[in-house]
Amino acid sequence: MTHPRAKIAFFDFAGCEGCQLTVLDTLQTHPELLQAVEILEFRESMSEREDGYEIAFIEGSCVWPMDEERLRKIRAQAKIVVALGACAHIAGVNSIRRSMSPEKAAEIVYGREVQNYVTKSARPIDAIIPVDAVLPGCPIDRHEFLRAVSMLLQGTLPQIPSDPVCVECRLDENRCLLLRGQACMGPITRGGCGAICPAFGVGCEGCRGMLADMNFEGLREQFLANGLSLADFERRISMFLSEQTPTLQVRA
Amino acid sequence: MSAVPSLGLTNSSVYMPQLLEIVDVRVMSAQEKLFTIELPFSTSLMHKPGQFLEVSIFGLGEAPISISSSPSRSVHAFELCVRCAGMLTRAVHQCEPGDRIGIRGPFGRGFPIERFKGKDILFAPGGLGLAPLRSLIWEVLDDRNNFGQVTILYGARNPSELLFRDELDEWAVRDDVELYVTVDNPDADWSGNVGVITTLFSNLRVSPRNTVAVTCGPPVMYRFVLMELLGKGIPEGNIWLSLERRMKCGVGKCGHCQIDHIYTCQEGPAFSYAEIRHLEEALR
Amino acid sequence: MLLKILSKSDLPDAVERLGQRYRIIAPMLHEGQTVFKELLPGDAPDMEYRTTPLPPKKALLPPREELIQLQSTNGESRLEPVLDVQPAVLLGVHTCDLHAIGLLDKVFTEGVPDQHYINRRRLTKIISLECLEPCSEHSFCKSMGTLAVPESFDLHLTDLGSDYAVEIGSKAGLNLLWKFFTIRDAGDDDYARLNKAMSEKWSRFNYRLDIDATELPGLMSLNYADELWEELGQQCLSCGACNLVCPTCFCFDVQDEIDVDLRSGVRTRVWDSCQLARFALVAGGHNFRIRRGDRLRHRFMRKGKYIQEMYDRPGCVGCGRCAQACPVDIKPLDVFNRLAAGHVNQSEMKKEAIV
Repeated sequence: MTHPRAKIAFFDFAGCEGCQLTVLDTLQTHPELLQAVEILEFRESMSEREDGYEIAFIEGSCVWPMDEERLRKIRAQAKIVVALGACAHIAGVNSIRRSMSPEKAAEIVYGREVQNYVTKSARPIDAIIPVDAVLPGCPIDRHEFLRAVSMLLQGTLPQIPSDPVCVECRLDENRCLLLRGQACMGPITRGGCGAICPAFGVGCEGCRGMLADMNFEGLREQFLANGLSLADFERRISMFLSEQTPTLQVRA
Repeated sequence: MSAVPSLGLTNSSVYMPQLLEIVDVRVMSAQEKLFTIELPFSTSLMHKPGQFLEVSIFGLGEAPISISSSPSRSVHAFELCVRCAGMLTRAVHQCEPGDRIGIRGPFGRGFPIERFKGKDILFAPGGLGLAPLRSLIWEVLDDRNNFGQVTILYGARNPSELLFRDELDEWAVRDDVELYVTVDNPDADWSGNVGVITTLFSNLRVSPRNTVAVTCGPPVMYRFVLMELLGKGIPEGNIWLSLERRMKCGVGKCGHCQIDHIYTCQEGPAFSYAEIRHLEEALR
Repeated sequence: MLLKILSKSDLPDAVERLGQRYRIIAPMLHEGQTVFKELLPGDAPDMEYRTTPLPPKKALLPPREELIQLQSTNGESRLEPVLDVQPAVLLGVHTCDLHAIGLLDKVFTEGVPDQHYINRRRLTKIISLECLEPCSEHSFCKSMGTLAVPESFDLHLTDLGSDYAVEIGSKAGLNLLWKFFTIRDAGDDDYARLNKAMSEKWSRFNYRLDIDATELPGLMSLNYADELWEELGQQCLSCGACNLVCPTCFCFDVQDEIDVDLRSGVRTRVWDSCQLARFALVAGGHNFRIRRGDRLRHRFMRKGKYIQEMYDRPGCVGCGRCAQACPVDIKPLDVFNRLAAGHVNQSEMKKEAIV
């Protein structure tokens, strides 16, 4: 059976473009993707653009007032909006500045030039427009992207796992970093990444976002029991998870 | 290898679905559709009311769905009433006549209808709970002389969520069935009872020792309906329920449907209240 | 008892010969830990290993296992079951894990048979290994009755220093022995060495349950409503590690995946954990075990009671892997002993009250 190719487009906002690069790379490792979809706009890889897309993949977080308008325009055109990667999903690394005032953040980054810049807080795109599906991660997981496209072609919204990173760590017999006294956000972070950081001995940073049902306080207690400090825990939170963490909760 | 019985190597699998053709789709409500699925070679499903099937669309997974048609009416084809509740059922709702769908089963223990014979039968379904009970209702009505009084109390949230309306009309005019329907939130056209299902019990007369009650509905409903049924003096062993759980494999292995020590897909989903009343996890 | 003697120096040759006929899954040193892995030519099994992160169960019930394949040719879609046909040898199984395999054999053959497991099991010969000392600080196999070898091995090895004593458990084991191993008959001296090793080992296993394992199901019933579950639920991170490393856990999830060409796909069984929040969730959104304490209780009920009562095999074989794997130090022996202590205290209080 032949399906009509899905008309898709990629858009970017504040972010490092790493998720788009992952898509670009996936197009090369899985050329069959190009039989399945028709790409109408993808600034990262092509200069042509065409209207009439049905599925919009949006990378990056919303920072400027003009971003809001552009997001609304995309939403008006697309039948399905997919947040692509941590910045679009949970404001990503950009959300690091949430731990301080925008003025303070601007001062740290721009120093004496600060008066030449306007800095706003970074927001996930669902703070502006309704989002139908999310591909989390920094960057996104290639296989999850392929699965998502397959599901979209089957007429279904992509689903992402709701199990912690620990599940994949255990199935792959990775050595648990928490057990070795190191910082790891695995137990409260959404898996589906193949536990790629712990597999290489690096503690999970939480880039795929916090699970709805998890034991935040329990993990914080375990950090302390492992001889890590509250500051260590806050540092891990501030990297990707501040959007999902009310500050009070960290301190408790 | 003493522990493994001498079953030879095999090329079949208990997880292998049969692809069967959908021959009819009826819209039941905004959320529910009734699918008629054809059996190959004019076979019969050989099921018991209360049993379920594993329904799948390859690529989107598998889910347990109770069989809506009665064995008496499931020759050559059977019916499934499917609520659009998740990824799989949403895709099932997009199916049209001619599409094929994966089916395994029937699984589980249905209602022991032989033990109900000669008794008055009181059905108390709520919402989608009518879907599995409809199988039992028709099995009883198609063998009407073998049962005493038949009473159906049916509650739904609002009139548009009432399922099988043609059949409700049919039961309403039958002399040998007493049907009472209620809705929580009436609309302007509604002239029937208003209130939750338990409001239908107040004027109900039953001969408790000779009555079998069968209920199925959302988890929150059971506690209240059970209170009414027990209040009428119906013995715990004569009150039957169908419990919803995530019966992923259907064959007593995967563990998802466990209620305390009981595998719902093996010992249920039809249970008497006497069987489950001591199980902490059964009614929550 | 048919006892043969295999010189340790002859084991590598035997493994190599076996490897020409069978896939060999054996404990292997890998990145600083010993894991069960398929042996490649030239690989040497680690026969002195302590414990492994995942049990050898994974050779019979893989963590991720394709059940059904979708294949489309010329527009026609076909589903096919995926059933293993490769003969294998599972080498170096400790007795606790052998007991656990005995349980899995019952689970997947009783009631509705699971052909995927049964096929693989029938194709797998097991060469087990006697445990002469505890493999981890957390193991309490002696208490659970799993330190003695059950009868489900094909060959069983006991370390006698420079040799292995080899017991034959099945005809298939005997065949393996004749075809692939260089052995000699055991003499009086070998029996003496074996008896010495066997009699000396028991006193080395001291980490133990405070009650008899036969009392465990009753103890669990009594403590179904204990406040301990809620207390542990506060600590538990619901990470699933305990279930995922457990040799007697067999619950699974099933996941589908289809390629972007929509022509081929797989339905895969993946090990699951009843500690994960979504485990008892149904499609409508109702979660029947929403509290961590309830999930934790369910796990311990299975380990201490339900499995024993359903399958007449211990639901916990005392391997200690879950205690090792738990990031917040929830240990089964602590849990069982604490419940036992509470129970003892209560009955003593009652006695005092009567006096």
